[in-house]
Amino acid sequence: MSRPSQTRVVWTAVFALPLLFASVAALQTRIDAQTRKQSQTQEMLLLSSPTVVKKLSLGYDSLLADVYWTRVVQYYGERLVKGGADYDLLWPLLDITTTLDPKLVVAYRFGAIFLSLPHVPPGSNLVGGAGRTDLAVELVKRGIAANPENWVLDSDLGFLYYWQLKDYKNASAAYLDGSTKPKAPQWLKMMAARVAAKGGSFENSSLIWSEVYASTKNPQIQKLAWTMLRALRAQDDEMHLDELATAYRKRIGRYPTSTAELLNAGYLTKIPVDPAGHPYVFGAEGKSRLAPDSPVVIPPK
Amino acid sequence: MSVPGIVAINTFREAVRDRVLYNLVFFALIMIGAAILVGQISIGIERLVIVNLGLTAISVFGLVMSIFIGVGLVYKEIEKRTLYTLLAKPIRRWQFLVGKYGGLLLTLTVNTFFMALGLAAALFYVGRTFVRSDALILVAIYFILLELALVTAIALFFSCFSTPMLSTLFTLGIYVTGVFATDIRNIAGFTSNGAIVYPTRFLYYVVPNFHNFNAIGLAAHGGQIPFALFWQNTAYAALYVALLLIASAAVFSYRNFK
Repeated sequence: MSRPSQTRVVWTAVFALPLLFASVAALQTRIDAQTRKQSQTQEMLLLSSPTVVKKLSLGYDSLLADVYWTRVVQYYGERLVKGGADYDLLWPLLDITTTLDPKLVVAYRFGAIFLSLPHVPPGSNLVGGAGRTDLAVELVKRGIAANPENWVLDSDLGFLYYWQLKDYKNASAAYLDGSTKPKAPQWLKMMAARVAAKGGSFENSSLIWSEVYASTKNPQIQKLAWTMLRALRAQDDEMHLDELATAYRKRIGRYPTSTAELLNAGYLTKIPVDPAGHPYVFGAEGKSRLAPDSPVVIPPK
Repeated sequence: MSVPGIVAINTFREAVRDRVLYNLVFFALIMIGAAILVGQISIGIERLVIVNLGLTAISVFGLVMSIFIGVGLVYKEIEKRTLYTLLAKPIRRWQFLVGKYGGLLLTLTVNTFFMALGLAAALFYVGRTFVRSDALILVAIYFILLELALVTAIALFFSCFSTPMLSTLFTLGIYVTGVFATDIRNIAGFTSNGAIVYPTRFLYYVVPNFHNFNAIGLAAHGGQIPFALFWQNTAYAALYVALLLIASAAVFSYRNFK
């Protein structure tokens, strides 16, 4: 090939290739629009048996577990944004992930949170989940069996029993089991004793959520723990205000209509505010509650 | 230098000339992509993914190389008729085979070494430091190399008497069977029928057990690999490779090239 013709070919390529690529991309957009309806099929698991998936991984099960875990995160994340969606595939995906790599502690920990959190309506500020605490407990128990040296999973199990199931006996047992494991922190033994003695108290709940907050680097979980800590403080304040309102009624003959009345009657030394800085308000029957414009959210029980 | 050594060096040079080591570029891209992307789309597995993906890529790239280059090691020399020139020289057929095997093994070792460097760089990028348990990754890489040595020997064996296409199928078949070796053994546990128990048990011991060399998960989680497993796997691979090379030499020495 002569030099001028070579140059011609190169220049043709320089101009034609981007043009052709652009045309291909434009065409693909058209095809996507055409087939969008067909592609909006329900998400499904082609292989639902964890054992089969493990066999088919040909020994590369660790990497496949990472892929499935990423799929769990994406699956949960998509529904989190939508709100109110179903979480039918969450358990099968976690089942496959943890079968492929039983040592993937992160999958048990976050998987249990995703499974146990209650459903929340669309548009809610709260982080919601599948509302399946039973499966969350099963998942964490499986994790403990596969990682018997890991105290963190016992702590998570204790948390599930304490917070989601209000089963303080099992919660205490889980914390106690965790405290016997290598490198377990002191607070686990303390929690076991406190939960056994007092059950669900504001101090215990605060301590647990503070530990959740401190033990994770995940911003979503930190946000959840922060929300819960604020909600707990607000609930504790409300309980205290309700007690004061009852005492006020005994003395004055009616419930207070505002915290200012309690202050004027000498029950308070200053106007109490919620964790966001908004003063509490009183409703009928002397029940205190958050101000309507308060950003603090108390999750549904 | 010994005759197999000279053949090995030339086989390595040929592989380099054939741009076999270009796969390192793909490996680097995968590592860079994973290091940047995974933190964005997943939770808590940044380091795990780098280790799992890096070791899996080292294993898969190595397997592809050892099978596809291994099956052509002898066949290509026959096809190009360069074997006749070689065998006319004072080279024994087994020396030629051992040299060819050594050359491909050297290529795979160099390739794996650079991939290990890439993996270390990606790990450092993600974690900003190395931890003590990262040493396990080196053990896992060593096990992968043993696995590749074994696969190469299988590919070379088939390459001595079969076409590349069939050799690829045979090697892949044996590899997959070897991966499922533990399941083959477990079949015997499901029944007391001697017609099933004895053949499966026999197959379990005959087929190379590739399950032995899988330490990717252990390395990723910083588990413990007993020292005994280290030398046992080394001895297992060495024995099996020796067996296959002797079998290859036997087949090759009887092969008629007229």
